[in-house]
Amino acid sequence: MKIDRRCFLSLGIGAAAGTALSPLPWKLMDDSSIWSQMWPWTPVPEDGEYTYVDSVCSLCPGGCGISVRKVNDRAVKIEGTKDHPVNDGGICGLGVSGLQLLYGPTRVKSPMKRIGERGEGRWEKVSWEIAISAITRELKELRAAGKANTVGAITGSGRGTVPQMLKRFLTAYGSSNFFTTPTIQDVYAEAFKLMHGKDAVPGFDFEKSTFVLSFGSGLIDGWGSPVRMIRANSTWKDNGTTVVQVEPRLSNTAAKSDKWITIKPGTEGDLALGIAHVIIRESLNSKKFVDNHANGYLGAIDASGVFTQGFKELIMSSYGPDAVEMRTGVAGSDIVALAKEFATARRAVAVCGRGQGDNPADIKEVMAVHALNALVDSINQPGGVYTVKAPDYIKWADAEMDSVAGEGFAQERFSGITDGLNALFISGANPYYTMTDTTAVKKVLDQIPMIVSFSSFMDESAAQSDYILPDHTYLEGYRDVVAVNGLMRPVVSLAQPVVKPQFKSQSTGDVIIALANSLEGTVAKSFPWLNYQQCLKETLDSMGPEIQKNGFWVDKKAAAETGDKNFGTASGKFEFTAITDNTTPAESGGIPKLSSIELAGDKASYPLLLIPSDSLRLANDTIGNPPFMVKIVEDMILKGKSSFVEINPDTARKYDLKECSEAVITTPVGKATVMVHISESIMKDVVAMATGLGHTAHDKYLAGKGINVKSLIATVQDPLTGYDVAWGARAKLTKA
Amino acid sequence: MKEEGKHGKANKFGMVIDLDKCTGCGSCMVACMSENNVSFKEDESDKRLSITWMKVYRITNGKKFPDAEECFLPRPCMHCEGEHSGHSPCVSVCPATATDYSTQTGIVSQIYTRCFGCRYCMAACPYHARHFNWWDPVWPEGMEKFLSPNVSPRMRGVVEKCSFCFHRYQLAKDKAYMDGRREIREEEYQTACTQACPAGAITFGDLNNKNHKVYKLVKPDNKHHGKPRNPHAFRLLERLKTNPKVYYLSSRDWVRAAGDNYTVEEKRKGITSGSGSGH
Amino acid sequence: MTTSDDATKNGSEESADQAEAIEAVENVEGTAAETTPETEEKKETAKCTGGGLIIFTFIAGLVISLIVGWIIFPKLLYSKKDQPINFNHKLHLEEVDNSCESCHFFREDGTYAGVPTLAQCIDCHEEVEGDSPDEERFVNEYVAKNKEVPWLIYSRQPDCVFFSHAAHVKGAGMDCQTCHGEIGESESLKPYEENRVTGYSRDIWGKNISGITTHTWESMKMDDCAKCHAEAKVEASSVQTKKDACFVCHK
Repeated sequence: MKIDRRCFLSLGIGAAAGTALSPLPWKLMDDSSIWSQMWPWTPVPEDGEYTYVDSVCSLCPGGCGISVRKVNDRAVKIEGTKDHPVNDGGICGLGVSGLQLLYGPTRVKSPMKRIGERGEGRWEKVSWEIAISAITRELKELRAAGKANTVGAITGSGRGTVPQMLKRFLTAYGSSNFFTTPTIQDVYAEAFKLMHGKDAVPGFDFEKSTFVLSFGSGLIDGWGSPVRMIRANSTWKDNGTTVVQVEPRLSNTAAKSDKWITIKPGTEGDLALGIAHVIIRESLNSKKFVDNHANGYLGAIDASGVFTQGFKELIMSSYGPDAVEMRTGVAGSDIVALAKEFATARRAVAVCGRGQGDNPADIKEVMAVHALNALVDSINQPGGVYTVKAPDYIKWADAEMDSVAGEGFAQERFSGITDGLNALFISGANPYYTMTDTTAVKKVLDQIPMIVSFSSFMDESAAQSDYILPDHTYLEGYRDVVAVNGLMRPVVSLAQPVVKPQFKSQSTGDVIIALANSLEGTVAKSFPWLNYQQCLKETLDSMGPEIQKNGFWVDKKAAAETGDKNFGTASGKFEFTAITDNTTPAESGGIPKLSSIELAGDKASYPLLLIPSDSLRLANDTIGNPPFMVKIVEDMILKGKSSFVEINPDTARKYDLKECSEAVITTPVGKATVMVHISESIMKDVVAMATGLGHTAHDKYLAGKGINVKSLIATVQDPLTGYDVAWGARAKLTKA
Repeated sequence: MKEEGKHGKANKFGMVIDLDKCTGCGSCMVACMSENNVSFKEDESDKRLSITWMKVYRITNGKKFPDAEECFLPRPCMHCEGEHSGHSPCVSVCPATATDYSTQTGIVSQIYTRCFGCRYCMAACPYHARHFNWWDPVWPEGMEKFLSPNVSPRMRGVVEKCSFCFHRYQLAKDKAYMDGRREIREEEYQTACTQACPAGAITFGDLNNKNHKVYKLVKPDNKHHGKPRNPHAFRLLERLKTNPKVYYLSSRDWVRAAGDNYTVEEKRKGITSGSGSGH
Repeated sequence: MTTSDDATKNGSEESADQAEAIEAVENVEGTAAETTPETEEKKETAKCTGGGLIIFTFIAGLVISLIVGWIIFPKLLYSKKDQPINFNHKLHLEEVDNSCESCHFFREDGTYAGVPTLAQCIDCHEEVEGDSPDEERFVNEYVAKNKEVPWLIYSRQPDCVFFSHAAHVKGAGMDCQTCHGEIGESESLKPYEENRVTGYSRDIWGKNISGITTHTWESMKMDDCAKCHAEAKVEASSVQTKKDACFVCHK
């Protein structure tokens, strides 16, 4: 039997008919459409029981309450806790992005030991035992060699049990070289010491203010406790509070303010005194306050017959509107109007600290601004600024110190984290990224023979260290979080584990105890706790049951009482002398210099002023932007891998720069290629650059994008506080 | 519109955004991304390719320094009702029935598995509220752990957009059924952006319900396509008659004027959506 | 059943009348033959060797493809997996007070717990209760090791589907059987059949490969949902479809 073509065709037709009559094609069509709609590589998130765990965010010092939504054992969303005293349900973008840090690729998954060159990125995973014994060995050697004081540590604010345990560890070991990262809050604290004679931090009663005068503070750009400040801003809108923003650039805060006053960068203190001049001239100041509660307001003749001029004489002789206009660029008429408005407002308050206030400022400037509060009697008054006692709940017995510790501790403290150190512990800080003049900082820190990082994430400092002992993230372990940041009522919160530790991390508190135990002797004896949790529990017990029950404790009694006029100064009064002391005499026809602080570089070579600009969309502190946050960075801040500088059209014309063209910015300490954004929102001859870019570590979403503006800024030390108070840099721009 | 159905009176969910309060912090954008499993790429600086259901725009008054002013304008999907119920620009052009308008909720839905990626809706949407998945979303290893089971992750080749967090409505309904209720309360259904906004600038609720805050804020004239009766309230591109359900509040004239395309002549005469004729 | 009209028509014509079918073939061949003489010859041979063979091959093709489509294809399309533990629903239903909801319960927030997790099973099965080897295995392999049982869920829907048990059970007062059938009567779990193309359970399409069902619980496709919604007169709120809106069941 021969199968010819016809039979074959017939077979085919039969088969086709049969197939059509069978479910095969129709079912396959349905199935393949389902397959094509549900690609197997598209993740299908597992469903389950929804629960919420309340905790506290510690990605910035704001202290917001968070409610983390979970599906079974996965955390899927971070929300703000409703009715929380700081944020009442609101939350910032960084806070929401926390899960990208928890589950993200930047996590350090186990203890690591560097095997390549420093910063090369070659690591060996080691066990906790090996890491701790290796570090202990080094520490024992240094101690034996009488170099105990060359072991240092740097942390964030220094508040809370973990930084204090680290400080205690160093003390018991024999070193006083424990450093924190100062912010504007610390400068305020120093100013309060001098003017109020009080050991206190500022608490702003913003919600009740009717007039807010901000000297460059990014009140809604992340200053203070960011969500609280944005809520305060909404209260201002509801209540008709007037907000005046003094700033060279139209920041978000300036954009939302009722009046934007443009000023030459760095002259904010002079404007404050110019306003004081008008207030005093027009007799708008509180007579009661200056007569009864102030010292040094008026000049006096001392026993030897020498007249020392007081605040009033200094201000009245030198800070007339015209002179101040010359210095600051703010029109004299504006100064007069502003002074009148400020002084006649029912509850006015003046505040300073540029941008987010992450950097300390010239203490004289802070005092000049604070003097305005004194003049209108807004100190310890509703809507004004209160002296607030920072929470003091850590009441441990003194660390035990043997003779080595005693000797080491008695040695002179280093001026900062310098190359004199033989070992450095880094916890809750990222000095390789956040300190000004990044290149110089790196050069110094790289000299330190042993750097140990406690970071949960591969940040710049972790990447440069010799050992990484990863801490649990704030979502995996217990820890106390202290929020003071301008709050009237500081909040101490207890972070609790939202999820189980995802990797082989350990609480830094436990690691410090382990290090102390393996050092034995008095160091071990200084840490009598079984583990960190026990230490934390015992420490928090002193605050009463509220914190363990609610997860937070509000220090309602921290702020001075309303109307409190008890100053702790020698005179028992508010000290205007703190401002008038140490001023540099006026140049011919000009106004005196409050302080000797000058930016590096000469004006001829560097005719422009570079100022950093802070935004809530760009985390610029220890924590870097997670992917969601990188995504919302505006395209005139970052494009591809390029940072932008923002300049006025006049500046652009002067240097022949076009929108989106490349330019080179040069400062005395650095040079970078940037893109140009021309905008009407910035003063002539001022160049603004966003902070928070130019990371070299973290993940691919953040690393290698843009320029770290800190690398272009030279440090400027305030002789009065010792803080680095560089607010910008002299710079020049050239076509690339 | 059908007023009464088996499930009672129809809702018309809408949003009011107070531009005086919005600080441009971007929290709403991130809350939205986190709530709705929105993907992210290594480079998101080309904003045309960046998927943002909620996007905060920066607008300026166009004046020279130092008279320049800026304002931030968050833009979710407007959930346009159109001139007659459901005649939204996008719904009316979709050839795949992938996007739909519900007369029950007033929400414009997008079903990803139904969409075949022609992007006609994107061309039709005057608000740039729709985004296309040019690539399959990729979450770095471990990060898929935070994906929410309430919203399906998208795949390459489909369009996505803001849903007014419809899954939250569904969850609220479930809770209501559990309690033996048919209706959900105002606070039970709030979008992720509304909840996250630190400024409290976003208000969400039922524009058909006179007790809801959104209604009280804008006083929509539901007989005239929801035109706001509050003189400070306006909608984007009112004159296109898309009848959007997102309203904005601003005390600044130039901001309200920026909400629509006005000719120079009209601007001179001071015709804006807040004060002039929208028709 | 998803067969198109065309297919049905073609099929019935050709199988109904063989002669007509052959003629049709001839006609096709005829048009081609005009141009090539060789085919003319072959046509002759074919005619000689008999239309019978053609009919035979046609029927053979038809029968083979029908067998493939109806019998072999379903066997190839699905892979069979046994459940990790053989569970006796009937036995458990006799023991519990609250019928299905004793184990398949609603949470307070209105979400549905679905298949019980170990946490619920442990309430009774901390230790071996009865004498079933399955129970013993369950206790030893899962309870003792605190490991969740990887149940294979017959009714699992694709990720794009949102289904609210609360709306159906609490809202519409439906019973479990309407969608899930008499699984409560079963004494053992049937094998889980997974569609090799889609990865979903056979129970979604239904046991019958033709898609024809006689009971509401035999399949769980979108059409089944739509049919029931239409019968129950659920608000037709969709502007596009004039049925209920897409977002009612999709996410």
